Amino acid sequence: MQRSWKFLALLVVVLAAGGWLFWRFRPHRFAGTVLQSPEPAYDFELTSAEGPVRLSDFRGKWVLLFFGYTHCPDVCPTTLADLARVMDLLGRDGEKLQVIMISVDPKRDTPERMAEYVRYFHPSFIGLTGTEEDIREVATRYGIFYNYPQGTPESGYIVEHTASTLLINPEGYLKVIFPPTFGPDGITPEQMAADLKYLLRR
Amino acid sequence: MSSRRVSLFWYVAYAVIGAVFLGAVAFKVFQPVQVLPRVRLAPGFQMVDHRGTPLSSEALRGQVVLFTFWYSHCPDPCFDILPTMEYVARHLDQVPEMRQATIPVAFVVVSLDPARDTPEVLQAYAREMKARTGKTWYFVTHPDPEVLKTYVGAGFQVYYEPQPDGTIRFDPRYILVDGWGIIRGEYKYETVVSTRDRILRHFGVLAREIQNSRGAAKLAYEAAHLFLCYAP
Repeated sequence: MQRSWKFLALLVVVLAAGGWLFWRFRPHRFAGTVLQSPEPAYDFELTSAEGPVRLSDFRGKWVLLFFGYTHCPDVCPTTLADLARVMDLLGRDGEKLQVIMISVDPKRDTPERMAEYVRYFHPSFIGLTGTEEDIREVATRYGIFYNYPQGTPESGYIVEHTASTLLINPEGYLKVIFPPTFGPDGITPEQMAADLKYLLRR
Repeated sequence: MSSRRVSLFWYVAYAVIGAVFLGAVAFKVFQPVQVLPRVRLAPGFQMVDHRGTPLSSEALRGQVVLFTFWYSHCPDPCFDILPTMEYVARHLDQVPEMRQATIPVAFVVVSLDPARDTPEVLQAYAREMKARTGKTWYFVTHPDPEVLKTYVGAGFQVYYEPQPDGTIRFDPRYILVDGWGIIRGEYKYETVVSTRDRILRHFGVLAREIQNSRGAAKLAYEAAHLFLCYAP
């Protein structure tokens, strides 16, 4: 009788351990789209307020890339605020992550203006800009469409642009594409942080 | 007595672990679910189509798009580019997976010769292809050769170089892009293997994934990506 109790106790312990293991290593359901790129992401060189910055400077860190502009009325502030929230949710894991915003409006966005703008959302964020040719090449290669529908720098204008956020892994490969954080199909900062936590902790 | 029970328990435990392991191996070896690789991002662009209106990569979101590159002054047979596109468009409805799913599809022909391929010139081609296949066609280009070079050369990674004699040397290529703007297939011009049938088969694989990628089935498809179970 006592032996079968022992057996039962062992069974419970093993089942609990098995359950915990399954829960710990359960397949994660990504909110973003995961890529298995066979080639590294394009290694751009753009300008920050502290001088030139290359993507490859961040090997060893995860990099979140977002494209926008500082005169942006809605999408960019919302997204940057959401990315700042993601950093909060990540806590200490956030140290392994670098958020970079790249301007799609190089005519108006100076490196200093970009730096001031992104720091307003989070002290660790980096803002980059460059020549029109460089920006066009980077945006094109990262699947980012942008267009200036009307206006001039004097009259003020808006820029239409793709608002996805891209995650580059520490080896420089594009790993996840996150849809915009606004709109009916938008993902929440919590979903984004869950994806990142899963990747950062492995 | 107890030791026999405990060892029985371990037999069961090993059997479960073994079954899970064998299942994973079987999934990789037999590949019950096959997918197209998510190669890289298709470029972001804004070009001008055959109606003279802008066509951007954003406007094509949610559609499966087959891109190719071409110019109207290309000496015949010009690598059979338009005939191949037409063949794929015509036979698309015969792909079983495409018939079951209602997936919006577009065919985009990028002209490498903006100086001569004006919207008026491209309009005639677009009309004819639409009339022959009943599908959505865009014949696009960008008036600024430098911007076009960035889109095609850097973005799609397709080589082309205008020659002094007015021809354009280029690598014929077909590129399949999904609704998220991710390149899922790149096809070079082949005379031995039939490129067109391969493209059609891949349309089917992609359609099946799009249709089944919900709920629990989504996990199987993501596992297929993870285990690199790529369709031939």
